[in-house]
Parts: sequence; structure tokens; C-alpha cells
Amino acid sequence: MTLHLSLLLWLPALAGTLGLLLPGRLTARALALLGSAGALGYAISAVIDFDRRAGGLQYVTDETWIRTLGIHYKLGMDGVNLFLVLLAAGLFTASMLWAASREWERPKLFFFHMGVGHTAVLGALLAQDLALFVAFFDLMLIPFFFLTGIWGPARTRVTAVTKLVIYTLVGSLLMLSAAIATAVLAAEQNGTELSFVLSDLQKLRLGAGTQDWIFLFFAAAFLVKMPMFPVHGWMPDGYRNMPLPVLAVFSGVLSKVAAYGFLRIALPLFPDAAVQFQDLMLLIALASILYGSAMAFTTTEARLILGYSSMAQLGFIVLGIFALNDRGAQGAVLQAFNHGLVVAPAFFVLALLAARAGGSEDIRDMGGVALRAPVLAVLFLIVALANLAMPGSANFVGEFYILLGVFQDKPVYAILAFTGVALASVYTLRLFIRAMHNRVGPRVESSDLKVADGLVLVPLVLAILAVALYPQLPLEKGEKTVVASVAAARDLAGPPAAIGATPVAQPPKPVSGAAAWMEAAAAAEAAAAAGGAPGVEEEPAP
Amino acid sequence: METTAWLVLAFPLAGAILIGLLAQHVPAKLTGYLGTLAIGGAFVSAVLTFLSLQGREEEARQVVFVGWDYARSVGVDAQISILVDPLSVLMILVVSGVSTLIHLYSVAYMESDQGYARFFAYLNFFVFSMLLLVLAGNFMLLIVGWAFVGAASYLLISFWYRRTTATKAGIKAFVINVVGDVGLVLGTYFIFKHTGTLDFLGTFDSVERDFEGSTGDLTAGCLLLLVGAFAKSAQIPLHTWLPDAMEGPTPVSALIHAATMVTAGVYLIARMHPLFEQAPAAADTGAIIGAVTLLVAGTIAIVVTDLKRVIAYSTMSQIGYMIMGVSAGAYVAGLFHLMTHAFFKALLFMAAGSVIAAMGGRQDLDSMGGFRKAMPYTFACFCIGGLALAAVPPFSGFFSKDEILLDLGAEGGWHWVLYVAGYVGSLLTAVYTFRLIFRAFFNDPVPEAQELMDGHLHHPAEAANPATGETEDTDVGFPGADHHIAEQSPFMRVAMGILALGAIVGGFIQIPKVTHGLESFLDPTFARSEIEVEPSDGLIYFGLVLGAVLGLLGIAIAYRIWVQKPGTSAAIQARLSVLHKLFSNKWYFDELIELVVVRPLSWFGRFGQQTFERIFVNGALVGGTTGLVRAGSAAVRAVQSGYLRSYAALLLGGLAVVGFYFLLQA
Repeated sequence: MTLHLSLLLWLPALAGTLGLLLPGRLTARALALLGSAGALGYAISAVIDFDRRAGGLQYVTDETWIRTLGIHYKLGMDGVNLFLVLLAAGLFTASMLWAASREWERPKLFFFHMGVGHTAVLGALLAQDLALFVAFFDLMLIPFFFLTGIWGPARTRVTAVTKLVIYTLVGSLLMLSAAIATAVLAAEQNGTELSFVLSDLQKLRLGAGTQDWIFLFFAAAFLVKMPMFPVHGWMPDGYRNMPLPVLAVFSGVLSKVAAYGFLRIALPLFPDAAVQFQDLMLLIALASILYGSAMAFTTTEARLILGYSSMAQLGFIVLGIFALNDRGAQGAVLQAFNHGLVVAPAFFVLALLAARAGGSEDIRDMGGVALRAPVLAVLFLIVALANLAMPGSANFVGEFYILLGVFQDKPVYAILAFTGVALASVYTLRLFIRAMHNRVGPRVESSDLKVADGLVLVPLVLAILAVALYPQLPLEKGEKTVVASVAAARDLAGPPAAIGATPVAQPPKPVSGAAAWMEAAAAAEAAAAAGGAPGVEEEPAP
Repeated sequence: METTAWLVLAFPLAGAILIGLLAQHVPAKLTGYLGTLAIGGAFVSAVLTFLSLQGREEEARQVVFVGWDYARSVGVDAQISILVDPLSVLMILVVSGVSTLIHLYSVAYMESDQGYARFFAYLNFFVFSMLLLVLAGNFMLLIVGWAFVGAASYLLISFWYRRTTATKAGIKAFVINVVGDVGLVLGTYFIFKHTGTLDFLGTFDSVERDFEGSTGDLTAGCLLLLVGAFAKSAQIPLHTWLPDAMEGPTPVSALIHAATMVTAGVYLIARMHPLFEQAPAAADTGAIIGAVTLLVAGTIAIVVTDLKRVIAYSTMSQIGYMIMGVSAGAYVAGLFHLMTHAFFKALLFMAAGSVIAAMGGRQDLDSMGGFRKAMPYTFACFCIGGLALAAVPPFSGFFSKDEILLDLGAEGGWHWVLYVAGYVGSLLTAVYTFRLIFRAFFNDPVPEAQELMDGHLHHPAEAANPATGETEDTDVGFPGADHHIAEQSPFMRVAMGILALGAIVGGFIQIPKVTHGLESFLDPTFARSEIEVEPSDGLIYFGLVLGAVLGLLGIAIAYRIWVQKPGTSAAIQARLSVLHKLFSNKWYFDELIELVVVRPLSWFGRFGQQTFERIFVNGALVGGTTGLVRAGSAAVRAVQSGYLRSYAALLLGGLAVVGFYFLLQA
């Protein structure tokens, strides 16, 4: 089957533009929705059609764009971006559907920006040319800048938008210069013609010293976008000010694009640097997991609980990528898909909860909704359990692979990261219980899910369940190319792992100390639970 | 056999889903029957599986059935596969059998609860999870079942979710169980690292070869598996969730916190015995923790005054025996005690539920008494359960506990310490069990008992949470308008009657020198075990006599203290006030955990929230930003917020123009 990725890519932006130009009150929403749904249909057929045995890119579109600079308009799909494209299409469709049933000021403009955002994300995921990637990566910022700046709460949106722009622009500029340097230096050092095409650049490996700073520039851009500790300064304000359907795609997809950047660009192009900075990246990931988790269970703003929780979950993804082996990478790609699939419905649920708590998104104002909203409670429970990566969910499979990958070569990081696994259950359940259980909050008016909202939430939850039952599908579709994307770095990091099918006698490792430590850590985590959810907030007086 | 084995899982799962979907559309009563039928179906399937397993050659009684590839990639062989062998069949028989009776009991007990359908959906899901746990044929599925059990337990503990005490207990149980999950996963990593397979049989086949020269990893792996076992089986120091879990409805306590969930740790150690036998340090740790737990829990059970919590601590203590047994190589004995304990502990909880209902929901022993005449059937059941728990011959607990201690004694070496601890625990068990019986059923009838004798069930004027005194929100259920006691409900009587029968005769399956039913049944699973003990005749007779004497002595002590001379207990308390304080504060484990973990963690959280985020993130890193915003905000206000918009519009437009230009160039 021939699939034209350009069609997939430009459909949402085209629909958004048409909606902006054509008259009619409902045209914009209908068109935007159709555009995203079309992209989703296209992505689904790509997933079905995708040949997992073939290596390399599929459905490639390759046109020379700017000949003098060696920039190509090259799109393609492989195991690394296949399910992320599906995720992006799915979440944008869900978000559009959600937004379509609500009133917006200047709706045409709103849906236009959503459409452009969708195309930008798809472009960044599909681009197989470094310059094209950078262009789409930066294009992503613009619609979200508007969506926050125009439709955010009037009082605080300017601060939020300024922070967001400054942070990401710094990252973008670093990335832009790094991208140019990559192509120019690669051509210079190897004496070839200038080219930005990724597959060309991969063959022209830069000198180790050059790789280092370029890698760091890219890493900075990606880490800010996710965000990772300690460059998450824009996140609290940014999250507070985005309209919820916008936040759902922002948190669900845009952060994954950054993680994807590591696998698509940083690891294959700069393997020496990736090995060089492996420990640094693992440390940043670990810090994000621990810091994000601690923040998530001390804040009382439901949005930020989800925000910091995303930070922790993205920490796991980075951990998996920088395990620099097959299992870590497989887990990271799966987890990127899973996390998006979970965090978006979580934000939708949050919108419904806020609507029932008199507009407040503070968990102290919520409570006791489950009784009158059993369907909503069940959906939220499934989402919550998936978010805390309960075994049986695909999120657990992702985490299992990630931590197994890390454990293979860097056991200490894996063991420390497990603290985050236990903490996730504390902050996620705390959110669930505070919203759904306990006494009814003073301003709470509970009612069950409306059909329009159910149309968004139920399919997403069904998708969570489906992938929980059969995570094999994303794992096996992606296996070949995901493994290839880390191959260069993996081979540099050490001899091929002896673990697995062929057991080889290994020198005994001093694990007893680690084991004792682990038990202490486990006991410590137990205690966290035992004391309930510790935090700065106090129980509201009855 | 393949079909029946899968059906064991399919029935409860289908039950849970069906009840969940139908709950709003059919009469509530129907969901109770549906749930009971589903578990009954699982039990029948389990029996059929048992029969066809017994029909096979002894060497062929370990069979793996593969459903589908679950997450099989880059050398990780995670499949949906189940292992049917005598051990798993014993477990599914016990779990589905006892669960069927508990469902039957709940049909009546929960009748007036608003959350009736929800209760049965959860209960079915719980049984499914537990069956999945024991049938799992590989580590991945084991972990899944393990976690599902924890989640189901959380749902059931916080079943009355408008009670803050219940939701707190729920999250505590869940999180401690997650710690256990983490232990299990990490343990799996250590083992997988050498064996390269998640499959149980594949792992066991090559243990010795794979871990040659790296017993450190194996020991670490087994210790981590123990963390999982301790969390689920409420062993020190991961036990603090179990007493709090009594917040759930009484059938839940009976099902989860006595008969099934808490035995998962025992099952795990028995299942992993080929690993533990190669890692003696880990096995010894398990045995010691089991012994410590059985003693500590026993001492707490003597002073606690909440009816259900006494039984909860007794569960902890009995699981301690089992963990001690299976860790020290007494596999059959440990599983034997698991089975008899499932009968008599479920029975005790059911009887306790009946008493609590008669008390209008109150659980404190201090306000109970004299129920003997008012509730003869409940009293009889409580006594049978109590005698079995106190290990008085010929009740089932006598033979199973004796078997564990006998094996430990015969093993010799330092295991005599465990042997002695076991008998000390035996005495404690008899004392606290009969303290319970004497205080609840003897002496003068309290008003509630009197009311019942007058032919009327006590109803409190206003339902209140016994723990906090706050008025109950009866919307979500208990206490509803009606209570049900065994004396008046045929369902409850039948369920308790069958369990009472099991508690009496269950021990005859395995009597020293007489019958060996369980041992020969389980033999295929433990065939490769290297631990062989042949207790001498002298030890056998000494143990039987000592066990019987201690049980009766304990009852006599309890009778003396709480019936003959009611003032004695206060006198003892006064004289041993330090010990009493230690025991009634549960050895200060909650406080210890608070001090070591919760305080530092919340300090860290507060530091991050109040200091780090404010100063570092908002100050230093974006100091320029905020300054810029403040300076620029006046200008922004001057041209209105449209300024930002037009600025960004310009950006977008510019980008489009540049893009278009290059497009034309190309």
C-alpha cells in the first residue's frame, strides 16, 4: 500500500485554514475535527499496513527543498515514530472533539491554531531531514503560544506565555545552531557536499569532541521541552494557563516529541557524545523522577499533580533512552505512547472534576463525586491505575523494559528509580481519592458523564485497555528500527549485552550491599504510605 | 484440562465485568447471585482440573498452557501462560472454594448495603486476581496478578469510601503492596539477569547452572522476592496495613485478609523453592522474620480491644508460622496450615461479622459480652474456629501447626530456635483466641445481647464511625437499615456450617504416621526439593502432646483471667505497664515509619515546594524573565494584550513567507 505522508501531515493545517476562511458558525469545528480525524484514520491504516520485518523507513517522501543548502523535504515512518504519529493523531482528534462541544471566544481562530499545532507535531515526528525537523519543532511553539496567550486566564497568561517563550526559544536557538553545525561540520570533516538529510548525516560521524557540544545543545532543547529537572521553570505557570484540551495535547504529545528527538537525532548522530554523557543524562532523568514525584504529592493543584507526574514519567522515558540498549529503548518508545494515552484523558477527567467542584481545580475543594458519577469514577480509576503503571497496564510493560534495560548496565540508577514507581502510586491515588472519595466537598455538585464527553473519554480508555491486553503490537512493530536507532550508541557503550537468551557466567557482583540498601528503601516507601499522603496541605476541618 | 484451567480464570473475570455493566440495569439482588455463581463456576472448573491432573502420570503433572504473546521482544519472553501443577491446583481449590462460601455469606450480609452490586463486582475481580496470581506460569503474569490483588484489596478496603478512615487504610494498603510489587520486580530482574527467561519451569530447570559463581545475585533476588512476600503477607516490617484493612466490610476481611490474599507470600516462597534452596541466606531471613512476626503479632493480639483487629493480628501471626515453615523447607506443612487456616479463619471472621451486626456495627470488645445464649449458632461456630486456631486436637489447626513445628524440630541445627518460638506462639494463640471468646460470649449479657434474646436486633439510633465518632454517610452503604446475623439467615448459616466442617475435619488429610494425603498430592511440585526430613517417633509424640497441652493451657489461662477472676487482667496490666504499653501501641511500628520515612519525605516535599521552586526556579533561572515581564508589562498594558498577539502573528506570518520563498526556490 502506498501512503502519502504529506497528505497525513498537511491535512489538519489545511482543514484549520479552510475553517478560518469559510463562513458559518460550525464550519471551523467540523472542518478541524474532520482534518484531525482524517489524519487519525491515515495513521491507523499506516499502523496496520506497517511491515515490521522491513528495516529502515517506510512510506518515504523525498524531495529536494533547498538545493544549495542540501535541505530535503523528506518524510518517513519507522518503528520509532509509528506509534507516536498514531498517538498525536489520536490525541489531537480527541482534543478537537472535546473542544468542539464547548464554547470558545473566537472559535475559528482557536481551531485554526489547533490544526496548525497538529501539523507541526506530525511534521516534527515525520521529518527525516534535520532542518525540516528543526523547522517543525519550532513551529510547534507558535500555535501553542497563541492558544495559551489568547485563551488562558486573563490575569496570569502573559507571565506564563513569556516564560514559555523565553525558555523554549533559548532551547530552539541552541538547537538551530547545533543543527547547522552538524551539517556543516559533517560536510567539512568528511569532505562531502552539504546535506541535512538524517540518513546522510548518520553515515558521516562527527569527531568525538565536536559531537559533545552539539549533543549538549540538542539535549538542552529537548530537556526544556519535556520538561526535565531543573529546566522546568516554565512548566507550573505554563500548565496553569493552558486551556485543558490544549494542555491535554501539549502534555500528551509535545513532550514526547522531545523524547523522540533523542532517539531520532541525538543517539544515531552523536553516539560518542551519548555514551560520554550517559551518566549525566541518567542523573537528570533520575532527578526528574524523584523531584517530580515529591512535588506531585505535595501540591494541591490537580493540574500540577498531573504536570509533575508527567515530569516524573518523562524521566522514566529518558532513563530508558539513555540505558543505551535495546530493552531500554523499546521500553522508552512504548512508554512514550502509553504516557500520552494516559495523561490526555487524565486532563479531560480533571476538566470534568473542576466543573463539578464549582470551577476549582484544587483537590481540597473536591471530593465524593463517585457516588453520583459511577461511570466517570470507573473511567478515572482505569486512567489512574494506568498512570501509576500498575502491572497489567501497558505502562507497566514500558517501565519493566526501561528499568530492565537500565538495570542491565547501570543497576544503581534502576534501583533508585524504583522509588519513583512507589511514589507514583501515592500521588496518583491521592488525586483519585481526593476527587472521587471521602466526604462531598462543600461546593461539589456531582453528576455523571455527559454523552459528548463520553465520546472522547470512552474511546481513549478503551485504547488504554486494548494496549494493556496486547502491548505486543507496539513492541513487535517497533522492534527492528528501535533497536537500530540505539545500535551505534549501544555498541560504543560496551560489548553486546550477554544477558538474555545466552546465559554467560559473569563475575560475581557486589550486590549484597545494594540489596540491603534496597530493602531499606522499600521499607522507607512503605512508610510513606503508612503516613498517608504527606504534604503541605492540611485536612479541611469538617 | 487446558479448557477447565482457563475457565477457572474466565468465570470470575466475566462475573466482574458482567456485574459492572449490568449493575445499573438489573435488580441488585441478582448481582449477588451472579457473583456467587461465577465463583462457584470457578470452583467447579478447579475441581475438574484437579481430577484431570490426578489422571496423569506423576511425572507429567506440571503443565504449562500458553495463551498469547504478551510482551515478547528483545529477549524478554513475557507471555500469557499458566502453570497447572499440584501446588497451583491446591491453591485454586482453596481460593475458589472458600471464596464461593464467602460470596454466599455476603449475599445475605451485604443485603441492605447501598453498594451491593459494586461489592460483588469488586469481590469477583479480587478472586480473579488471586487465581491469576496462583496460576501464573511466568514472572510477568505473577507480577500482574500480584498487583491486581493489591488493587482489588484497595478497592474493597475503601469500599465505604465516604469514611476518611477507610480511604486512608486503602491507600496505605495499596502503597505498601506497591512496595511489595517493586521488590518482586527487582527480584525478577536479578533472577532474569542470569536465567534469561521469565518462565518458571525454565528458570527452575537451570538454577544451579545459571547462578554458578554468582550466588550473591541469587540471594539478592530471593531477598527481594521476600520483600514482595512480606508486603502481601503482612510480615514485619511491612505489616502495618493489615490491621487498618479491617475498615473494609467483614466478608472482605474474611476473604482477603484471612483466607486468600495474605497467603500469597506463602505461595510465592513455596513456588520459588528451587531458588530459595540455592540461597540459604534468603531462606533463613524468611524463616526468622516469620518467627518474629508470629511472636510480635501474638503479643499485640492479647491486648487489642477491637474484635476484628484481634483476628487480624492472629492472621498475621498464623501467616508467620506458614512463612517460617515454607522458608525453612517445610513446604507441605506450610501449605497444609495455609489450607486449614483458610477454613477456620474465614469461619472466625464470619462469626465475628455476625456479632458486629448484632452490636449495630460496633467492634470494641469492651462493650461486648454475654452473646452465648443470644447467638448459639454463631457461638458454636466461633468456638470451632477458636479451637482450630488454638490448635486443640482433633481440630484441623492442631495437625497443621504441629506438622510445621515437627519439621522444624526434625531439621535440627539452629532451627530449634524457630521450634521454640513456634510453641511459645502456640500458647499466645490459645490465650488471645479464648480471651476473645470469653469476653464476647461469656459473662453478663450487654444490652445488645439482651435485646437479641428478646427477639429484636439492635439498631443504633444514628450510625457513627466507631473509629472517629463522625456520623456515617449512609449513601454509599453500611450501615444500612438492616443488619444480618447468622442466626437468622440461611445463606450465612450454610456458609459457616461448611467452613466449620472443614475446620473440624480438614486436618485429617495429613496426620503423622497415619495419613499422607496432602504430601503425596503435592509431591510432583516438590519432587526436586533437596530438603528431606525424617522426624523420629519420639519427636512426633512429644510434639503432639506438647501442642495439645499448650493449647489447653492457654484456654485455661484465658478462662482464669477473663471468666473466673475478671479483675485479673487489670491487675496484670498495672504490674506490667511497660509491656502493656508496648503491645497496645503495636510495638510502635507506625510511629517508627512516620519518623524514618514520612517526616523526611514531607520535609523534602515542602522544601521543594516552598523554597526550591520559589527561589531557584522562579528566581535565579528566570530572574531575568520575571524582571522582563514586570518591566514590559506596563508597555504591554499600554498597547493592550493585542500586542502579544500581533507579535506572534508576525512571527507565524514571517515563517510562512520564508517557507514559501524556499518552496518556490526549490
